[in-house]
Amino acid sequence: MQTTDTNRFSLFSSVRNFFFAEQSPYAMALVRMFLPAVALVPMIRRFGRVREMYSSDGAPLQLFQIYGEGSPLPELPASFAAALYGLMIFALICGVFGFRTRLALMIGTPLYIYFNLLDCAGTMTKYSVMAAHMLVILSLSHCGSVWSIDAILRRSKEAAAATAIPPRFPVWPARLIQILFCVVYLGAAITKIQTASFFSGEQMKYWMLSNWNYDNPVGEIMATSTPLLLASGYIAVLWEIGFGLLAWRPIGRFFALGMGCAFHFMTWLTLGLYIFPLICISGYLAFLTEQDIVAIRQFVHRLRIPTALLGAPRFAIARLIESRPSAVPVSLAWLGMATLVAVGSAEADYRIDLYGMRANNGPMALKLMDRDVALVMISTPRPLREKDKFFSFDVGNMLVGGQLANRLNVFEPGDTIIAQCNVNPPHEDLWVECFIEDDQERVIDNSGQFVTRDVLFANFTYFAGDRLVPGDYWMVLKSSGKEISRRPFTLAGEPKSLPQAAASELLTN
Amino acid sequence: MRIQRWAAGLFVTCYLIWLSVGVVGHALKIGLVNNTLGYFVVWDMFCGWTAYDNRTHIIGEDADGNFYDVREPWGAFTPFGNVARINYDVGNTLIPRHIEHVLSRTSHPPIDRVYVVQEIWPKQFNVPDHLWSRYFHEPKEKVSYFNLRAICRADGMPIEVYPDWFNAQTMQSIADNPRLQNASRQATPYFNTFFNPKTMDSAASFRNASDDDGLSTN
Repeated sequence: MQTTDTNRFSLFSSVRNFFFAEQSPYAMALVRMFLPAVALVPMIRRFGRVREMYSSDGAPLQLFQIYGEGSPLPELPASFAAALYGLMIFALICGVFGFRTRLALMIGTPLYIYFNLLDCAGTMTKYSVMAAHMLVILSLSHCGSVWSIDAILRRSKEAAAATAIPPRFPVWPARLIQILFCVVYLGAAITKIQTASFFSGEQMKYWMLSNWNYDNPVGEIMATSTPLLLASGYIAVLWEIGFGLLAWRPIGRFFALGMGCAFHFMTWLTLGLYIFPLICISGYLAFLTEQDIVAIRQFVHRLRIPTALLGAPRFAIARLIESRPSAVPVSLAWLGMATLVAVGSAEADYRIDLYGMRANNGPMALKLMDRDVALVMISTPRPLREKDKFFSFDVGNMLVGGQLANRLNVFEPGDTIIAQCNVNPPHEDLWVECFIEDDQERVIDNSGQFVTRDVLFANFTYFAGDRLVPGDYWMVLKSSGKEISRRPFTLAGEPKSLPQAAASELLTN
Repeated sequence: MRIQRWAAGLFVTCYLIWLSVGVVGHALKIGLVNNTLGYFVVWDMFCGWTAYDNRTHIIGEDADGNFYDVREPWGAFTPFGNVARINYDVGNTLIPRHIEHVLSRTSHPPIDRVYVVQEIWPKQFNVPDHLWSRYFHEPKEKVSYFNLRAICRADGMPIEVYPDWFNAQTMQSIADNPRLQNASRQATPYFNTFFNPKTMDSAASFRNASDDDGLSTN
């Protein structure tokens, strides 16, 4: 009985230690400095559009509407919305510098969530959701107790009584951010596993060729390499599942986080995602321990990097705040500045004159369209060209995951020649034929197969052997009797002579 | 201090339960997370991408048969790249309000009808020219397909709604099957729960259908 009690106590102690062990909140302070700064980038970009996207004078689309839950959030008049938007930006900037940190985050976070919820077409994304989670956790943490204006002001207030030992608090806010990332990656892996044709690289290819995010020139190149997409897909899913298993291991966490940084860097290059990777890497800072911070500090000092400069703005602002009249409490000064920013934002919105009502002495004119173009667009849709049902047609000799891994145009006798067509879904059941023509356009071989609506690619396999004599050929793809594409190839070398036995059999039969 | 710790413990527990509900609900496809609250705990960042790119065009027509591009003359906002915000409204939930918003803030003759058109093209035509010549061999002859999605009033109210191009393609591919067409023709129901014979009999007495107990063969 005693043993059982000890075990239970031990389990409870482990959980308690995991969440409530005390540490200096340097990691959370780093998250506080980086996360709101990154989250603010897209929000500041939208400042000139508050009237259009977040006010009753525009066209917001609340996230609730997507789920058929109506529009429960109030849509405020434009000036008021602009004032609140300015307040949100000010509050989150204060969060970055740690000026009245908790108050700033308690005001900035609900406003950030509110404005994101108001516009799910152009603002709310999954990175906003992750940022919202972390901002809520930050606002409940003691992230402002170190590396902040609040810390400088407190130290100067305590004067001689101030201690050099940093304050320590329960580590649960950092743990929640860490767990959030494990859950996010697990969820993302589940999504990929549930997504048809993810592991054949098809979905990744189409994503990389989409222009819905920012420019992604590397992705466009990568989209043409199926083996690379296949390998990336498997690596991504394995890492996403493994993240939670490695994240708290002494060595494993460096691997998990290092892979994470590389993964998010690649999403920037290949998918054109800018903010999402930065939000995630900001969150990774929550994985740093006190020992990591000490090690990083020692490393930075060894490199003689003037880190004091990083704190200069913080100290400068703190000195400015200290120069206020002593009768004015810091919180009142904060509220005064917030009010000023809010009023300034409303004024800015008025001066921006988004709809050009004042600049043009009335509403702007709608652009007239060419009548013929308009009629083409609204008339009966034209049927899909046969060739637009196909993504590509290639010839090679190696398959990876069922997909053609190489593209060749010279083969040796005895090689296996694989012709593959990739089909764009949705498509109907197709009868697809592959012809081999010689250099005088004489048909040497013809084979066909049904490509049903659930299929995304089809292979035609040929064993060159002695069936083709060396020379130049064309591999021709046809669908519904129409030529879709043709690829040249050469069969090089000397053909092997037919075995004598086989030759005699041919003669006798 | 003790209360603070209990409050923190409660928050941690609730938060972890919420995250777990999201992952389990998403993995098992439970409708529980198919709502706004669920959006915050479902991590479906990769939920499939189509083979065709699409853009939304809105065309207004006045009484004289002139057509107008119903687009913000002050410049459409492009939230994540070069694509206008209206295109990120996948379910076309924003369209009616967008139409009303643009038309009510611009000068134009009275608009009779507004057409919502979907432009579609295969995604391989998004490949830049230098890559196209290396990968595709054929000349790059991009053709856009247009699909009428809806006809609306000037206030954005839909009058006629048509299927999305992707759904239409899928439906056409399934319906293009004589066996299925024949089966659907023969499957005209004789019995259903949409009407009640008892109600029909008693229609002359002006009894309310809701007085009945539902479908009855007596």
